[in-house]
This record gives sequence, structure tokens and C-alpha cells, in this order.
Amino acid sequence: MNELALNLPVWIDQVNAHTGLRISVPAHLIPILAMFLCASIVAAAMGLSAAVLVWAERKLAGHFQCRLGPVYVGGKFGWLQSIADGIKLFLKEDLIPSDADRPLFRIAPYPVVLGVLLAFIAFPISEKLMVADLNVGIFFILAVLTVEVFGVILAGWASNNKWALIGAMRAVAQMVSYEIPMGLAILPVIMEAQSLSLKSIVNAQSGGILQWYVFQSPVFIGISFLIFFIAALASLKRAPFDLPEAESELTAGFHTEYSGMRFSFFFMAEYAGMILVSGLAALLYLGGWHGIFQGQAGPEWFLLKTSFLVFVMIWIRWTLPRLRIDQVVYLGWKVLTPFVLVCVVGQSFLAYK
Amino acid sequence: MSSVTAYFSDIYRGLSTALVGMSITLRYLFSRPVTEMYPDVKPMTPTRYRGVHVFEEEKCIGCYVCAKACPVECIEIGVVRKGKEIKITRFDIDYQKCMFCDLCCEPCPAHCIHMGPEFEKASFTRKGTILRFATPKSLTEEEKKVEKVAKK
Amino acid sequence: MNIASSAARIEQDVKTDELVINMGPQHPSTHGVLRVILKVDGEICLDAQPDIGYLHRCAEKIAENLIYGMFVPYTDRMDYVSGMGCNLGYCMAVETVAGIQIPPRAEYLRVIVTELNRIASHLLAFGTYGLDTGAITPFLYGFRERELVLDLLEMLCGARLTYSYIRIGGVDGDVTPDFMSKLKEFIDLFPKKIREYNKLLTFNHIFMKRTTGVGVLPPDVAIAYGVTGPSLRGSGVKRDVRRDDPYSIYDKLEFDVPVGTTQHGGPIGDCWNRYHVRMRELEECVKILQQCVQMMPPGPIMVEKLGRVKPAAKAEAYTRMENARGELAFYVVSDGTMTPARVKVRAPSFSNISVLPEIVRGQMIADVVAIIGSLDIVLGEIDR
Repeated sequence: MNELALNLPVWIDQVNAHTGLRISVPAHLIPILAMFLCASIVAAAMGLSAAVLVWAERKLAGHFQCRLGPVYVGGKFGWLQSIADGIKLFLKEDLIPSDADRPLFRIAPYPVVLGVLLAFIAFPISEKLMVADLNVGIFFILAVLTVEVFGVILAGWASNNKWALIGAMRAVAQMVSYEIPMGLAILPVIMEAQSLSLKSIVNAQSGGILQWYVFQSPVFIGISFLIFFIAALASLKRAPFDLPEAESELTAGFHTEYSGMRFSFFFMAEYAGMILVSGLAALLYLGGWHGIFQGQAGPEWFLLKTSFLVFVMIWIRWTLPRLRIDQVVYLGWKVLTPFVLVCVVGQSFLAYK
Repeated sequence: MSSVTAYFSDIYRGLSTALVGMSITLRYLFSRPVTEMYPDVKPMTPTRYRGVHVFEEEKCIGCYVCAKACPVECIEIGVVRKGKEIKITRFDIDYQKCMFCDLCCEPCPAHCIHMGPEFEKASFTRKGTILRFATPKSLTEEEKKVEKVAKK
Repeated sequence: MNIASSAARIEQDVKTDELVINMGPQHPSTHGVLRVILKVDGEICLDAQPDIGYLHRCAEKIAENLIYGMFVPYTDRMDYVSGMGCNLGYCMAVETVAGIQIPPRAEYLRVIVTELNRIASHLLAFGTYGLDTGAITPFLYGFRERELVLDLLEMLCGARLTYSYIRIGGVDGDVTPDFMSKLKEFIDLFPKKIREYNKLLTFNHIFMKRTTGVGVLPPDVAIAYGVTGPSLRGSGVKRDVRRDDPYSIYDKLEFDVPVGTTQHGGPIGDCWNRYHVRMRELEECVKILQQCVQMMPPGPIMVEKLGRVKPAAKAEAYTRMENARGELAFYVVSDGTMTPARVKVRAPSFSNISVLPEIVRGQMIADVVAIIGSLDIVLGEIDR
């Protein structure tokens, strides 16, 4: 974004020269304009990618189950289906339950979306493409992702619905208990890279496939990759940890009273979160934007790795049954946390030899 | 010690069965879907399919056996007899009631009613579900007096 | 400071209320329109009362106004998932009352279609149980194979769900060579698919964790409540009407009766056992089909010139058969006219669901769905 702020005046002059308009932006407003542009690009990209991901999930779900997914809206592959669903959600009636806490009900979707949107700030797609190169990048992302928990609690409480409240509390228990393995699983990588900045972590993995962290130290960082992935699945409330969402076994989840655009915020946050977490895993463990052979680099590698991990998430969802909430919490505290601590200690011996 | 081994074997089994299941779904990801594109492609119904009836009016002798055999009394027949001549004035089957059980076709002595391959007879009105199989005929006054219309 | 006594005092002071939850007639893990009234204390269930009657269609009363032969389509609609079984039960009862002997080829055909229907019913139970526990894909796989069975039955009698193929005095239509070749193909294909289902769902660790040790039904309680079928066999009791009281040609056929085991590391009589008994019964059905295809004699398929059945006055018969869900029995009383005086149906799911309060006590709310799914009930035959 700093580069964008530097280049903006030049671009504005070029536009003036070519078209004859006389746009003049005062110098102190250029950074704000740059911020605004970056924010809109990030938000638009997130929305669009969530829409594409929804379509991809439905198509993949169909083919995993020996059937076709959407096939009517938008030609043979139904790629306009998610846009049609988005339009439908947009046009739905805005229902707020009569006894619900109105201000909290309105506010609740925003922290959820905000958590994911803010995390995209420190998220580099390639060497040059990022919004801001924070030197505490990964720490910032993890910290900001916890803001989602607020949104979930607010949604459950403000719905004035016993079952939404219980569902929200279960969801929060799940999300919070998996933040610890997720945070700790990153430590081996940080110890290897000696930096928290995502750009330098990825640059430390350049030089071919064997330099990716997962292959540099297969045992400890390999296990922490697995733990990070599982903890991320639980944090996103995706199967097999989707008891809060598919609580419709008995009750409905925390977003039961939400409809229309508010619901689409929760929905979008989940799918954008999938992309975020897969991208993080690709950056930290799989070498980011570096290719298989030495010297290859570029955003297309990053996108390839992220899509592969997103595919694995969808694959897992449509294969495995759901875990019960006590089993989820058992897994988080009694299985993932001890293993990740062992990995951290083991990797520290290897890193600081 | 057994609880320690149970703990580790638990984890191992969890991961291994998950991977086995995922390999099965992956195999089906690359196989052909079994979807039939219904409204665009009509399904092939077998020969004995029990769909909407097929009625051969010329063979019918107006014996009412099919109407009596029907458990829900959905067949209404109108007959005019003049000596040996039989005119079927009405053969209505009410598909709101018909349960496609095929009990009417078996007892027919003239083998004039069968169940056919069609099944798409949904309608927007109640009247539209009563299908008339007999061709409309105009009756003389005398014939109208002799007409017997009944469901049994 | 005695910690135990202070904890006990806290328990007394903090009075937790019982909560009454209504798992209403419409719910997503539906096995029909069943209403369950759950009494819950925190996460633990204290009581679950099933409330039935939402699907009552007065079938038994209607039977008193219909001729014997006309009631056959109504029996289809009672247990709509395994309609052939209900047809068979009713026809056997009427044939006993009226003293009709049916030709041997018809007996073999009846067994073939009943076993095919049992496969279809167990596949539905497998699929919906996967749905209840959260695995959506096995449902689609089970239904893909069920389509093959339904296509076979459609080829034979023209309908996919409400067959009324088994009539009084025999069956409705003979098999064609096309049907026999397709049936042989299915018999060859199916064992491989059963192995696949076992790999995908039955021995999946998450599924086993959800269902092992949940809803344990002790054998004496099961017998006391009159539970039959795979739910009873899952508790270790080896009772199968086809083996204990053979009807039709089952005494000539060789097949095993699977019962619950502890091979999975859990108690006999839990949800996993009931589900696994169904999966093993699928293999037994294939065995029976193979034998029937080989042993079927040529001949007529219907008693000659049966016409309408008119049994003697005051003749009554109670015949029982093993349906997919348990022991299905029909009690037919005749008064000498063309219509029966009384037809009473003993539906297996009715007794199976009555055991719900016993096995739900002490389980968590999330397990109630797993327990109801393992009992495999069909509301059509509970309510008739």
C-alpha cells in the first residue's frame, strides 16, 4: 500500500493528461485515498472469491457424491448460481425478532466479517502484491482472527433464543480451545525463520521444493502443519467440527435468527476464512509463492497451493461425520495441544543447535 | 500403560480411517455422475410400468369389473346397451384418488385396460386430474334414458 | 475444609431445573413425523417420550370395508420402505385363513423380492444414519445402490415404492430373462459395495466414537419391551422369525443370523451394534438371493382361478414374518363374508420406539438423534 500511495499522484497525472479531466487530490489526502482503494480491492476480492468458492464447493460436493452440482443457472456449469444466491439473500426481508436486542443484533455480523477482512491486510500473495508488509504479520493475523468470537457471542445473545445462545456458547468453546494449537503450531516456523513478518518467512523458503519448511524438518514442522490445519478447520467451524452450524440436529446454530444480508455476512466470513487459512498454511509451511524448482516464483504458485488446501478442506467436509462437542473439546485440549508442544520443543532443539 | 496405548491407537485409527474414507470419495470424484437430467431427458420406463391407464374403447363390454375391483372407487363408467350394441359413453378415472395399484387391469375379461408408461399428468385444477378416456358421443333421448353411469 | 461436602452443598444450593424440549414433528433428522418430548438436565437427558399418531390413516378400519384382495395396496403404504414385506405378511395371513396353497415358484419369487426389498430398506437405514451423524456422502452412495434395486423391482412389477406385487394366491407377474440377468449382475456387484460402505462409514473412527457405547439396550429390557429385528439382534439375542419359525421356503435356505458383538471395543447392544447387524444382514440377503436364483423351479406363479377370496366363518389366523425392521405380524379374523371382520397389524417399529425412554436416560442431547436413527423406525407402520 505504501507503493500505491507513492504511485498515485503519478497515475492521477497520467489520467489527467490522457483524458483531459482535471482531478486534483491534495497531498495530505493521497494516503487516505490509497487506503480506501486498497480496502475496497480487498473487500471486493474477498466477496468475489467467497462467491467462487461457494460454487466450487457445491460442484465438488456434487461430484464427490456421484451427482452434478448446480447445472442450470449460467450455462452448463452453473457458475452464476452463487451470484443468484447472493442476489436472493440481498433481497430478502430483514427480520429482527421482536424481543431481540436490536443494536447488538445489528452489530453482531460485523465483528465476524471484520476479523477476516482485517487479516487480509498482512496477507501477501506474491513478492510485491500485498497491502502492507507488517513486520509482525503473522502475529497480527492470529490476533485479529479472534475478533470473530465476539461476533458469535453477540449473535447468540442478541437473538433472544435459548438454542441460539447454547449454540453460540458451544461455538465459542470450540473456537477458543482451538486457538491455542493454532498459535503454537506456528512457533516452529517462526523459530526457523527468525522473524514474524510473512514476507521474510516465505523468502526463507526459496530454492526449490526441499526448502519448504514442511520438507526442511519433516517430523516436527510436518506434524505442526497437520495440527495447524486441523485447528484451523475447527476454528472455522467446518466439518468434521461443524456441530455449531449443523446444530439443526436438535437446535439451530447461533445464526438461526439471521436472514438475508446479515446471514450472508456469516456465510461470507466462513468461506473467506477458508481461503485465508489455506493461504496462511501455504505461506508458512508450503513455501508461499515459490515454485517447485529453484528460481520459480510468482502468485500463480501461491494460488495453486491455496486452492489445493481449500480442496482438501472441502474433501474432508464431504467425507467425515460430525464430532460431538465434548469430543471436539477433548481433541483440542488433550490431543492437539500436547502434540504441538512437543513439536515446539523438538523444533527448538533443531533450530538453535 | 494400556491407557497410553489406547490414546495413541485412538489417534492413529482416527487418522487412518479418515484417510481411507477420503480415498473412497476421491475415487468417486473422478467417476461419472449418475444424475439423470430429468425434465430435459425423459426417463426410460420399463414395459410393465404402472403409469396412467391406456383404455381400448372398442374392446370394452361395460361389465364394471374394473370399477368394482378398484379399492378407492375412482373409475366411473357410463354404458348404453341396445341389444348387443354397447356404447361406452363415459370412462373417467379420477387420478386424485387412483393409487396406481393395478388391481383394475387383472380382472378385465376383454383385456381392454392396461397401465401405460406415462406419469406426467399433473394439472393446475382439480377437474384436470379427472381424465376422460371415452370419446365424447352425442346420445339420442332414448339412449339417455337407458344410460347407466356408476362407479360400481 | 471438606471439599466433598462443600461440593455437595453447592449442588444442593444451585438448583438446576429440568428443561422440557420438544423435538417436534418436523425435524431435519426425520424418520417420519415423530414428536419426542425430551426432559433434559443441562446436557444429560432424563426422559424421552415419543408422541406418535401424526401419520394415522385408519388402515385397519378401512380393511373391514374392503374385500381381502383390495387391501393389498394399503399394506404397501404402512411400512413404505419395505412394502414387499408387508404385502407378504398380509397375503400369508389371508392364505392361512382361507386355506390356499400357493405354487412353489411363487414362493421363490416372493422370497426374492422380499430380500431385494430388505436390501433397499437397509440401504436407506444406512444412508439416513450417516446423515444423522453428519456424514452426507454415504447417504448418496447408499441411494445410488438403492436405485439399482428399485430399477429391478420396477422392471418386475412396474412400481418403485408401493409394489402390491405379492397378491393373495401368488405373485402378480413372472420374471423375464432380462430381470434375471440384471439380478445376477446386481448380486455380483453388491458385496464390493458393502465392503466400501464399511470402509467409508462403519469403521470410521469418528462414526464409531459417535455410536459406540451410546444407547445401550440390555437384552432383557429389549425382550421385555418386545423389541424385534436388528435392534434385538444388536443386543445379542439371536432371534429371527426366518430361523425360529420358518415360513415360505426359508427352511430350505442357508443363511446366518448376525448378532451384536464386542469386536469394536464397546458393549453389546449399543447403536453401533444395531447398525452393524444391518450391514451384515445385507450380506446374508445376497446369499439368500443367490440360492433362490439357483433353486427356483418352473411353474405357475398364481393359484388358478382364485377369484375373490371368501374364507369360512370364524376362521382366524396370526402369521408372523421377519420384515426389515423386525417381526411383522398380521391377525386376520373372518366372518364368512367377502370382507374381513378385523385385520390387526403388529408393527415392529411400534415396539422398537417404545424402548426409547429406557435407552436415552443418561445420554447427551446430541446422542438422542443417533439413538433414534439406530432403531430404524418408519412412522408409517407405527401409526398405520
